[in-house]
Order: sequence, then C-alpha cells, then structure tokens
Amino acid sequence: MNSGSRAKLNTKNNIIPDLMAGTIFKSERYRQKVESVSADILRNVSLNRGFLLWMGFLTAVLLACLYAYTIQLREGLGVTGLRDITSWGVYIANFVFFVATSLVGMLISCVLGLSGAKWVKPIARIAEIIAVAFAAVAGLVIISDMGRPDRLPYVFLFGRFQSPILWDVTVVTTYFFVSLLLWFLPMIPDLAIAKDRLPGRPAFLVRAYEILSVKWVDHEKQFEILHKAMRILLILIIPLAFAIHTVTSWLFAVTPRPGWDSTIFGPYFISGAFVSGTAAVVIAMYFFRVSYKLEKYITDFHFDRIGRVLILVSVLYFYFNLNEFLVPGYKLKTSDAIHLRELFAGHHAFLFWGVQLLGLVIPAILLLFRKIRKPLPMLVISVVVLAAAWLKRYIIVVPPQAHPYLPAQNYPVEWIVYKPTLIEIAVSVAAIVLVLMIITILSKLFPVLPIQEIAEEEALAKNESV
Amino acid sequence: MRKLIPALTAILLLGTRLSAQDWTVPDDRKGRLSTFAFDDETRKTGQKLYTANCKSCHGIPGEDNWLRLVPPPGDPASEKFQKNSDGEMFYKVVTGRGQMPSFRTVLSANEIWALISYLRSYNQGYVQQVMQLITSSAYPDAEIRIALAWNSADSTVDISATAVSEKSSVAVTDAEMQLMVQRRFGHLAVDEPRNTDSRGFVRFRMPAGLPGDTAGNVLVMARFTDEETFGSAGKDTILRAGMPSFNESLVAPRAMWNTARKAPVWIILTYLGGVLIAWGFIMLVLLKLRDIFIIGENSTLNNK
Amino acid sequence: MSEKKKKPAEEKNLDEILDTSRRDFLKKVGLVGSAALTGAAALYSGYRFEKEKHSGATIKVLTEDNRLVEIPVEQVKDYKPGLKVYQTRGREGIEGKRWVMVIDLSKCRNARKCVEACQDAHHLRPYEYHINTLVMQESKNTPRYFMPKPCQHCDNPPCVSVCPVDATFKRQDGIVLIDNERCIGCRFCMSACPYSARMFHWQEPLAVEGDKERVYDIELNVPHKKGTISKCLFSADRLREGIMPYCVSACPNGVFYFGDENEDAVTNGTTKETVRLSELLEQNGAYRLLPELGTKPRVYYLPPKNRIFEFREPGETEYKEQHNT
Repeated sequence: MNSGSRAKLNTKNNIIPDLMAGTIFKSERYRQKVESVSADILRNVSLNRGFLLWMGFLTAVLLACLYAYTIQLREGLGVTGLRDITSWGVYIANFVFFVATSLVGMLISCVLGLSGAKWVKPIARIAEIIAVAFAAVAGLVIISDMGRPDRLPYVFLFGRFQSPILWDVTVVTTYFFVSLLLWFLPMIPDLAIAKDRLPGRPAFLVRAYEILSVKWVDHEKQFEILHKAMRILLILIIPLAFAIHTVTSWLFAVTPRPGWDSTIFGPYFISGAFVSGTAAVVIAMYFFRVSYKLEKYITDFHFDRIGRVLILVSVLYFYFNLNEFLVPGYKLKTSDAIHLRELFAGHHAFLFWGVQLLGLVIPAILLLFRKIRKPLPMLVISVVVLAAAWLKRYIIVVPPQAHPYLPAQNYPVEWIVYKPTLIEIAVSVAAIVLVLMIITILSKLFPVLPIQEIAEEEALAKNESV
Repeated sequence: MRKLIPALTAILLLGTRLSAQDWTVPDDRKGRLSTFAFDDETRKTGQKLYTANCKSCHGIPGEDNWLRLVPPPGDPASEKFQKNSDGEMFYKVVTGRGQMPSFRTVLSANEIWALISYLRSYNQGYVQQVMQLITSSAYPDAEIRIALAWNSADSTVDISATAVSEKSSVAVTDAEMQLMVQRRFGHLAVDEPRNTDSRGFVRFRMPAGLPGDTAGNVLVMARFTDEETFGSAGKDTILRAGMPSFNESLVAPRAMWNTARKAPVWIILTYLGGVLIAWGFIMLVLLKLRDIFIIGENSTLNNK
Repeated sequence: MSEKKKKPAEEKNLDEILDTSRRDFLKKVGLVGSAALTGAAALYSGYRFEKEKHSGATIKVLTEDNRLVEIPVEQVKDYKPGLKVYQTRGREGIEGKRWVMVIDLSKCRNARKCVEACQDAHHLRPYEYHINTLVMQESKNTPRYFMPKPCQHCDNPPCVSVCPVDATFKRQDGIVLIDNERCIGCRFCMSACPYSARMFHWQEPLAVEGDKERVYDIELNVPHKKGTISKCLFSADRLREGIMPYCVSACPNGVFYFGDENEDAVTNGTTKETVRLSELLEQNGAYRLLPELGTKPRVYYLPPKNRIFEFREPGETEYKEQHNT
C-alpha cells in the first residue's frame, strides 16, 4: 500500500481504526509501538492505593449527601428552599448543567472527528467518558427534584407525547446508551491488547477485559464491521445530542414565562453546552495528563487545539447570548423588562455580569493568546468557565420565576424569595460526586487513551517518514 | 337600567343606616303559615338551602359567627331571630333589605318554608301551626290555575290565569306576573314583569338566542310577583322556546393540551418513529458486535 | 461482484456463518419480542377492561327536586362512591356543561371570605391558595383594586400541555383537574401556568391525620398528598350536586357569578340573581386575564369601575375594621 492511498483513507475515517490498513497490523513496527504505548497507558489501570483512597473519600461524601436526600424523602420537598413561586431551583439548574456538559461527547467525537480533525483521537475517549458520566447522572438528578420519586414508572406507563418531559427522559436514556457504545466500541481492540498485559491486576478485571473484548483478534473483517458500527453511532449521536439539549431547553421555552419564552432557546442551550463541555474536557485532560503521567500523548499541541475550540464555541455562545438578551432588552416589553432589570441591575446583576464576563468574554479573549493555550492556564480558565457555566444555568432557571405575570402576594416572605437550603446543596453535591465516581472508574479501570489507534498512528508516521 | 336599580337601592338603604329594630312586617303578612308540616325531610332540605344561600353572611346557626355587616345579619338561632313569626321570617326572606338580597326569584315558597323549618330546629319551644288550605287572599276558596302556550311565530309565551272554585271560574285580572327560565343555579327572569289583562291573559316575549337543550327545550316558570297574595301558585312547563344547543364537548379535538390518547397524530408518529429509528440503529450496532464476536471465535478455533 | 470473487474461501465461510447466526439471533429476538408484545398487549387490554367496566352504562333517575338526570349505573349501587367511581366520573366531567365564572372587580372589597371558605373546604393552610385575592395596579396612574384570582380553567391550558403523565387534565365541562393519585410532583405545570394558580404540597398536608380514612375524591382533591400539586377545582364536587363553588357562595359582596356557558346564564353567589352571561359581559366591558397568551380562560373579569367604596390598604378592610370596634 502506498502512502497516497493511505492518506486518502485517513481523511475518510479519523478516529475510527484504520481498517483497510491490515498490513500495518502485521508489521513489526506496529507490534513494537503497541508494546510501548500499552505499557504507558496500562500502567495506570490498577486498583492502587490512590484509587481506593479517592473512591473511599467520594463514597463517604456521597453517603453523607444521600443522608440529606433521605431527609428530603421523609419530609418532602419542603426541606428545600423551593416554594410555590420559585418551584424549580438548584436541582433543575444542576440537571440542565449535566445535560449540557454531557453534550461534549458529541462535539468532540463527531463534529470534530467526522470533519477530519486528527488531533482529537487521543481525547475522544475522555470526551466520551465525560458524556457517559454526566448523561447517566442527569437522569438521577431529575429524580431528586420529583415530589413523588416512587411514581417514576408512571412516566413510561402514562407518558404524554405532548410533554417535553417524556421526550427528555427518552432522549437522555438513548443518548446515554449511545455514548456508552461510543466509549466502548473503539476500546474493543484496546481491551484485546490489554487483556494479556495486566500482570498483577485483580482476576476479575482481567476476566472483565476478556469478556468485553468480544473475542477481538485483529481480524480484517472485524475491523471492517467495527468501522461500520462506529459510523452508524457517530451519525446517530448527532441528532440525538441536538435532541437531548433542545428538548431540555423546551422544558423552559414551552412555558409562557418571560425569560423562558424564547424561540432561540434550543441553539442557545446547545452552544452553551459546547462551552461547558469543552471546559470539562480540558479539566479532565489536564488531570489525566498530570496524574497518569501521559504528557507524551496529551501534549501542549492538544491543549492548543482544544483552546481554539473553546474560543470558537465561546464566540458562538456569545452570539446567542447577544440575541437572547439584546432583543428583548431593546423592546422592553413589560414582563421582559422586569426580568431584565433584575438581571442587568437588580438582585442578580452581580451574578449575571460575573458569569457573562468571567465565564465567557474574558476567557475567550485570553485564549486568543498562544501563551495562554498551555495546560496550566487552560486548566485555570476552564475551571472558571465550568463554574460559571453552572451559575449560568442557575440564572436561566431561577430569576424568571421570581416575577410571575401576576404579583405574588399574601405569602410568607420565604415563600417568595428563593434561597437554596443545605439539604438541597448536599443532594446536588451528591450528583457531582456520582459523576466523579463514574469518571474515576471508567478512566482508572480501563485504558483512558486509545492504545491501538495511537500505536497505529505512530507506526504509520514512522512508515511515511521513512 | 334594571341592574342599576338594585345597586342604587343598596346604596340608599346603606346610607340610611337602618337598625335591626325597624324592620317591620305588614300585619297581613305576619300570620302566614306553611302549607306543610315540618319534618326531618324538610329540615334536611332547609339545611342544604341554608348552606348554599345564607351561610356566607349568617354563619353557622348557634355559633354566632355571622359576618359583621351593616345592618348586622345576626345569628338565626338567636332569640331575636326566633321571636319572628313564621310569616315574618317568610316575608323577610322574600323581600330582603340592605345587603340582604331578595330571594323572590331565587327560592320558591316551599323552599323558603323548608328553610324556616330548618331554622326552627334551633328553637326548642317552637310549635308549628300548619295552614290547612291553599288559598289566595284575593280569590278565597279558589284554586289558581295557570296555562302557558308557546307561539314560535313571534317568540312569545301566552299565559292565562284563572281562579277556579266549585261554583265558578273567573279570570285573575290585573295581577303582576313574572316569567322565568330555569338555569343551573337559579331562575333567569325573562322579559319585564307584566299584569294580566281583563281576561286573565298576559303575553311575555322570549329573548332571542336563549339556549335550551339539544331540542331547544327550556323549563319555563310563571309566578305571581305578589307571592304573599297568591301563595305558591305558579306553573312550571317545558316549552320548546329556547335555541337548540349543539355545543360539542370541550375535550373533543386532538390538541397539545388534551390527554395522551388525544395527542395530535403527528406528535405521536414523530415520537414513536424517532424512538424506533434510534433504537433500531442501536440494535444494528449490537448485532455488529455479535458478528465481531463470532469472527473472533471462529478464527481462534481455526488457529487451534 | 469482482470483489466477491476475490474473497478467500475462509471469508465465504465466515459470511455464511455470520448469515446463519444472524438469522438465528433475529429469530430468537423476534420470539422474545413477540412474547413481550403479546404480554404487553394482554396487560394493556386487561387495564383497558378495568378502566372501562366502570364507565359504560348510564341510568336515568329522578332527583329529589324532580329533575331527570342521567348518572352512571354504578352510582346507583354505591351511595358512597369508591375511588374508581370518583376517578372515572371525575375525569369525565359533567356532560353538556361549560362552566364559567365572572368576577366583578367593582364589588371586591378584599373580604377574603372566598379564600377562607376555599381553604376550609379543601383543608389548606392560610398561605396555601386555590384562590387568592391580590392588590392590583397596572401602572402609577391607574387605579388600585382587589382581584380574586382562582384557576382560570383555560381552554388552551399551558399547564395541561406540559404534564408528562395525564395527572392534570381538562374535562368536557371545561374544568382543569388534578389527579393526585397520578401526579409525580415534577411541577412543570407550575412553571407553565402564567397565572401562578397552582400550589404544591411541600410538606405533609394540613389535615393529613383527619383525612386518613377518607376516599380520595378527585373533584375535591381531598385528602391531599405530600409531593403533589393542588389548585382550584371550580368546586367540581359541589357542581355535581348543583351547588355553586365554595368561594362563590361565600362572598358577602356579590363579586362572583357562576354558571353554564351553554345556558348563557350565570348566577350571583351572594344575591342569587341569575342574569344572561352574554349581557353581563357585554354591558360591563368584560375581559380575561393575559389574553395575549392565548390561554382562553373560562374566568371573566368585569372592570373595577363605579366602585361604591374607597380602596383601602389590605389589612384595613371594612370587614376587619368593623370586627374590631
């Protein structure tokens, strides 16, 4: 096979294993590369003390937070700060944030992957891990907001096609499942490679690798089928991802409330999701790079590239923000005016401007400088962006409820002004802890980077240069 | 104009600040009696009527929780109240005063008596006297007969009133009558009150577009406005005097707000189609995973 | 075709294996699938049967006040209806009716008797509202006035549109009800209601102990359940008995009219005067709340003009003043 046709093939399928390149897999160079790459990546696959301590810590926090949830189960949602006027609060904000962040799996794997950006290969799996973790927990978050969680099956028994909630439940489930497959399928060759290279690891782990590698033998036909399957998934996940967050935005946009009653809520949410998801990926990249000692594979180049992605999605999100706030702000219809005044100069002004400037404008400007697009500054920026992304969801959910069309009167004052309680915060923290646990398990017990793809890439690079 | 009169009267009456003492009942009305004996049945009916019509101002009898209005409504179980004769109570309910409305078109005579029978249950010492004969003070010993006829041509209702006794039959002349139509929660007055002519006839005009049932039937009620003179004499008849109404159920159309079964077809199809397509592709991918497994198994066997 | 010819023998073999195994697999999946479908269908038909056996025949009976009415057969057997009867008839509503409420703002003095009667009937706390009276003022130069605000029972109810489980629904007589046996407590309906007409049971309902033995009446929404929604029901239980809603008959100031749009008549809850609905609305310049939202409420308001009293700050209403002296 000559290098010209290889290059052609490469542009066609990027993060998909190079299938027709059967010859490369038989080359000695490839075998060597597999040995070296797998040694680097599989080094981290272990139930070491650090892992156990970290998981133990997370479990302890989770249990404490779950205790808070049992109080809520017993006493009712009255233990939260929610009341008749502001009836959706931190839980729903958390839910929107989770759904948003999980969207990055689609962005990195598909939009960038299918468009031929080679550099996403090593971080595609990290993006999928984040997608799986956040999508899985998003469903649980919504249950914590239900007054009658025992009646969850009713959604499936009596589901109304007209309600965005039925669509949301359906789409989140489907998206989670497809994200799981998108994480798992490209990992099958890695599992086959790894199953014989895990000396000293617990037997159950090796056994799990053996089962999950579904008898992978590097057969040409297997590569071909895997390729087809991946293509189906990569295309399927795009409408799904758009659906998951558009439907989530409809939870608000289908109501006649000023502040939610917006026609651009779908794209506004999706562009916002790209920002928070990309920030989450940067944080994960930094963490894996440092603590798994993968500097060789997650390089400054990758940070530079994802930094550019973050600029791009920030500009996009800024554009939708401009539309979302400027257009009603220009007309100042009575109900919109009250809401916007609260955001621009009222009770929520500090939060609003803080989030818009620190979480969107300033990071985008800073990232324009090449020197900022280095791992550590990127980490700091991403942490701020992610925190701001959460607060932005709070701004989207809470303030529009505080000023309904008709005045809220004859209520105790604490029924009108929403303040999250400790229990509410604890239950929300539980969800975040759960996400961290899933990310830890998926990244610690399985190869966090694609061994086979990296080895192939490196072998080919040598081949071509020769 | 007709709406203004009760309102103006209310203002005027309020202005004069009538006190409870000077609500006097004409002497000829004081002695009126119920035509039936009070029993548990009438008391039960009366209690229902009381709850629906009187409780909002007078409160629960005996609890002294009446509303503080001017003049004060007072507690019907109180001695002051029970001092009234049956006739006095009847008169006051019929006429009303100040903020107390007239129940003339709201309650029938029998209903007011049932109400009184309920109120008397709070009076231990009360002994009822029953009027033996239904008579009108204007036509003693005669039974008042009323006939209604519907003229669809000019949308009018003709009424003739006759006082029939054993000896003779005479027209009830120059008596004011009111025509009413029964509605769910009350009686809707139709046309103005009018007087019978020398032959005992009176003609009422039915308003245009008054809805009846699907056939256009309405329950029409003719009453003498001077109930104290004519007693409960009146006539209830079903006439085809209304507009036939064919209003379909409010939940008939398929709509976003209707139940799942009545969802718009396109949304059901989109949902089911979407789910089917997405999970169909997921199944396809799982099948491919299976293929990978089989190839692997096969080639391991071959190698061995 | 040429590609196929080139394929080595081993691969042909593989294709066959894959084909047969795929067929086998699909067969198995098909079997399991059709078994599941049959099971589901059986379950569903059973469920339908259960649901429908209580809603079939009706019977004509004569009521105490000599009206011929048609009622479901099972009501004849059950003097005290069970849960299923309550649910079935409560979800169907009363045939041929279109309930409508008219609120005359020129008469409201904020006596709040409607609120009290409602909370009393529905076992609510003083700050849990099915109906609330608000102090309204559109702008600085427009008058202040009191406005009783029940659920508007919209004909295009945004709250019902968003409910995921048919827990809140519109009946044929126009009433929007809540089934707290079904409600999952997601509060989407509260978010969607532009009139803030809905309340949620954030804690154990007020009369939870006393109502323990009571059969749940969907038309009264009592007993309440923690973690579910409640709201104004137009006193559907009273309407069934031919009595006007609790708030309507409790008003001392003649603010409320209630009736059937199909009869074109409403009756004042205080004076009991019955008037033509169309005339009342036309002669008084009636309007509905937030008409621009397209919710089509079943509650009409008459503007607060020609008031025979002065507006007073809440808490100093005539009623309370007199009560104190």
